Amino acid sequence: MEPLSWGEIVLRILGLLTPVWIGLVATIALSIAFKRRLGLYGKLFDSPIGMVGFGLVMFWVFTAIFGAMDLIVTHDALSQSASMKNEPPGTPYSKLIGDPDPDAYPFYLLGGDNLGRDVFSRVVDGAWIVIQIAPLATLFAFMVGITLGLPAAYYGGRLDTFLSFLANLILAFPVILLFYLLVTPEIVATGIPSYMAAVMFVFPILFATVLLNSRYHTRPSVRTPVLAAVIAVLGWLYLSLISERAGALEVLPSWLDLFDIPGGILVVFVSVVFVNSPTVFRIVRGIAMDIKTRDYVAAAQTRGEGAWYIMLWEILPNARGPLIVDFCLRVGYTTILLGTLGFFGLGLPPESPDWGSTINEGRKLLSIYLHPALPPALALLSLVLGLNLLADGLREESLRD
Amino acid sequence: MTAWDDDGPILEIENLSISFFTRAGEIPAVMDFSCTVRPGEAMGLVGESGCGKSTVALGVMQDLGVNGRIVSGSIRFKGRDLNEMSADELRRIRGREIAMIYQEPMASLNPAMRVGRQLMEVPMIHEGVSEKEARARALEVVADVKLPDPERILRSYPHQLSGGQQQRIVIAMALMAHPSLLILDEPTTALDVTVEAAVVELVKDLGKKYGTSMLFISHNLGLILETCDRICVMYSGEAVETGSIWDVFDRMRHPYTQALFRSIPLPGADKNARPLVAVPGNFPLPHERPPGCNFGPRCDYFVDGRCDGQEIPMVPVAGDDRHESRCVRVDEIDWDAPPEAGARHAATEPGDVVLRMDDLKKYYEVAANSLFGGGESKVIKANESISFEARESETLAIVGESGCGKSTFAKVLLGLETATDGEITLDNRSIGDVPIGRRDTKTVSDVQMVFQNPFDTLNPSMTVGRQIVRALEIFGVGETEAGRRARMLELLDLVKLPREFADRMPRQLSGGQKQRVGIARAFAGGARIVVADEPVSALDVSVQAAVTDLLMELQRTENTTLLFISHDLSIVRYLADRVAVMYLGHIVETGTTEQIFAPPYHPYTEALLSAVPVADTRVQKKSVVLEGDVPSAMDPPPGCPFQTRCRWKHKVPGNRCETELPPYRDLSDGHRSLCWLDDAELAAMEPVIRTAAE
Ligand SMILES: Nc1ncnc2c1ncn2[C@@H]1O[C@H](COP(=O)(O)OP(=O)(O)O)[C@@H](O)[C@H]1O
Ligand code: SF4
Ligand code: SF4
Ligand SMILES: [Mg+2]
Repeated sequence: MEPLSWGEIVLRILGLLTPVWIGLVATIALSIAFKRRLGLYGKLFDSPIGMVGFGLVMFWVFTAIFGAMDLIVTHDALSQSASMKNEPPGTPYSKLIGDPDPDAYPFYLLGGDNLGRDVFSRVVDGAWIVIQIAPLATLFAFMVGITLGLPAAYYGGRLDTFLSFLANLILAFPVILLFYLLVTPEIVATGIPSYMAAVMFVFPILFATVLLNSRYHTRPSVRTPVLAAVIAVLGWLYLSLISERAGALEVLPSWLDLFDIPGGILVVFVSVVFVNSPTVFRIVRGIAMDIKTRDYVAAAQTRGEGAWYIMLWEILPNARGPLIVDFCLRVGYTTILLGTLGFFGLGLPPESPDWGSTINEGRKLLSIYLHPALPPALALLSLVLGLNLLADGLREESLRD
Repeated sequence: MTAWDDDGPILEIENLSISFFTRAGEIPAVMDFSCTVRPGEAMGLVGESGCGKSTVALGVMQDLGVNGRIVSGSIRFKGRDLNEMSADELRRIRGREIAMIYQEPMASLNPAMRVGRQLMEVPMIHEGVSEKEARARALEVVADVKLPDPERILRSYPHQLSGGQQQRIVIAMALMAHPSLLILDEPTTALDVTVEAAVVELVKDLGKKYGTSMLFISHNLGLILETCDRICVMYSGEAVETGSIWDVFDRMRHPYTQALFRSIPLPGADKNARPLVAVPGNFPLPHERPPGCNFGPRCDYFVDGRCDGQEIPMVPVAGDDRHESRCVRVDEIDWDAPPEAGARHAATEPGDVVLRMDDLKKYYEVAANSLFGGGESKVIKANESISFEARESETLAIVGESGCGKSTFAKVLLGLETATDGEITLDNRSIGDVPIGRRDTKTVSDVQMVFQNPFDTLNPSMTVGRQIVRALEIFGVGETEAGRRARMLELLDLVKLPREFADRMPRQLSGGQKQRVGIARAFAGGARIVVADEPVSALDVSVQAAVTDLLMELQRTENTTLLFISHDLSIVRYLADRVAVMYLGHIVETGTTEQIFAPPYHPYTEALLSAVPVADTRVQKKSVVLEGDVPSAMDPPPGCPFQTRCRWKHKVPGNRCETELPPYRDLSDGHRSLCWLDDAELAAMEPVIRTAAE
């Protein structure tokens, strides 16, 4: 078979992405149709910049989801083919030299990497890893930052001084050094990352408990069952998350342990939460300082509301605008951070298709073969650009009227 | 270009229309607006917020921002059309011939530059005079605006000055260039009453001295009466009535002007015998204006077909000089008919004492260095020996300027702070040192508060209904969710809001409506004492009366004790049974409303009474202008707290005022005053406000 021309490659990729286009068009059309009823999200569609950002981000989200559903990928991201090593984009696929596989997709659309894996499929699968980890890790960082930032601002005084000092201390710590430390086998063996994870992952439970309790404590008949259910579910998830068979923390018997997080991903989570939460803390603290002087906060105080109700139900909802904007930006940083980690071979396993690791793999032969490193790099660039544009659009729209 | 002859008007605005172009479309902010300002004349522009006053001012300055545009009409300054001038010419005129003073003084000052430099720059840039001459001129104007120690003022940075001093500097800056037109947009709204009085006095004098014409924008009719020769009343983007002060105040010929005057508390109004008449309804938003007369939906004289049929033009009022009204029925309405008497009420008898404060003190300790503790700490004496009683169904007004300790006292009462010393008893329970967290639900729901700023009083992310239900939950009202919802709807009825509002977000409500929700929330747990902190001062004049009315009505039906905190003596006189006047943490005078408003006064009360602008041409006030500012609570003067500004001090023998705190003396049946003046001096005091015979 003849290799594909560039035009054919582009057409085929566009065709493969059909589900993504359908998803994008449907989402945007629906959102624009109902934009006046969708609050800040709806207003996004008044801002060209925000729309472009949203489009880019949703492109990768849909690509990741449909990729994971096996609607897009053409080859297994991990399987190697001796005949496809470093082959240029558009090369017809054969398992071994001169041995076409009739069932498989006939081409490596974006070529093969140094181990003969399909670059196109790896980029799509890598999107799934990034889209799963980055927002979730950022969310954890927000939970930690919010749970500490609100009381620091609300109570002020010594607590504030102490927490702010701690945040500055962490911010002053060189990030890459921290990562190297966290993945050093000796340190992993001491269980430090597991213990840090055990501490950080408590925050969502704390957060949910306090949130519900402060709201429903006046109605024990609602509060008690809801709280019990939430604590049970989250607690179980939490214990499953932190307990590893034969790891540093083995709290649950294995038949109760729902899942094990691969050690590498745990380290990624811990690092991301660790470096992001101090910044989130500072942002939350700043906004909360301002909001706590409002009369509605004083009104809540004069009816004798508890401190956590005021923080979580009176202050936090009104801080959401800037926090959502920052969330978008921070998912972008986290994506870069994931890339950086992958690039240094930290955290995720080396064969992982995530973009950082793939770029690192491709880097070795960069001077000879550009094609294995370029697509993941462009993917990373466009997703982060999209997130930044989205954040800009949201900020611009939330500042208006 | 026609040459400007000296007798022609300084400013001539003709059929001016200004629109803002936003995403929602064109917003006509000003429509068909005309007015003329002659040399040396002061023109007042009154109206509620959002009616387009500031837009007119910015239009004259040709400074409407990116989305504002003059759609039609002309603005002639000394005969030349400002709309047709080049940017260069405009720049030369702005600041030099037309100067503008804004509400917020810091908006016009550079925080990083010494006051002296900022003043000197004006003539140096506009006229190219030498530095030395500029400095001399700066010194002269600073003295002109009656600032003490001009040399020191010139050397200070803006933040080192008080709000009143800053505003004087801004005025000085505007006057440096000897403009022929001065535009003042609510120049004193951010200032305290006594400071406001002094600034207004100053503006008046300077206007005379320099012969400057003025365009004075305000929502306060009393201020306009004190400063202006002519007035233009605006409503929803249009001028509705214009004429000389005397014509408009005494022979008003537009229903809106009339409604406005009937809704503000003038001397003689009384909550029981002669209640205020609230203007029904709300101010229309620019895109919701009705066809025909904008005031139609709220007008008592509305006639179907005529008032909403066509655009209503300005028509001259027969017999008056340059007096015009935008009303088709101007010649038919019986303008002298007395207002329809509102519901009268028998005065309620105050019941038992529910709240007693005894020698309450609240000091704050502020560490000089908060990070490492230690160092010297300073004591702020926010409240000093506050004592009073409040009875059931009684309205006790607490009057004083910002920083006098009103809010601190409210915080202690509500349990947000605990008293440093002294006793607060609520129904014989001592609550002074019980913080809110340790108060039982009953005590908490008994003492509630209505806040000042309607835009801040409701949580913007929660529906109106939810916020009231939350209060019910906390106060333990109702057994079930459904029961509480029903009660919430009843509360909405009680504050006269439609039930649909339960599911609205606060941003969908107007200021007055939000304030009503705040009131409903305060009364949710059957409050017995409601502290209302300036509950109407941030509202538009025409809705103030309605909200005040509502508070009074709830008080009557619920037998609530109302602690009404305010700086506005007009409204206090209207609704309070008893008054406590505060200054620098002390209660300086208490008594019934009659006792407070008639001599003998405490010297501070006298100044306060004289400072409050009264929108009634029959009222003659004795002018008592206070020099200087309220001293800092961190560093109060020795002796009498008021001694730094008191004009009676010299009547007290020796220098007791400066050395010894005066006794809290009973003058007659519960009328008490914190002053050294003896009975003879007190008896010789003259009334501040005199109403000429009708
Ligand atoms: N930059 C702007 N963009 C859109 N609308 C504006 C703008 N400035 C003022 N408006 C609208 O114009 C109307 C008149 O406003 P303004 O002149 O500030 O009133 P006032 O000074 O009497 O309070 C209001 O409805 C206001 O919302
Ligand atoms: S025109 Fe009609 S509605 Fe308008 S003010 Fe006159 S009487 Fe009232
Ligand atoms: S005690 Fe002296 S300074 Fe104080 S108010 Fe009386 S006269 Fe004035
Ligand atoms: Mg204004």
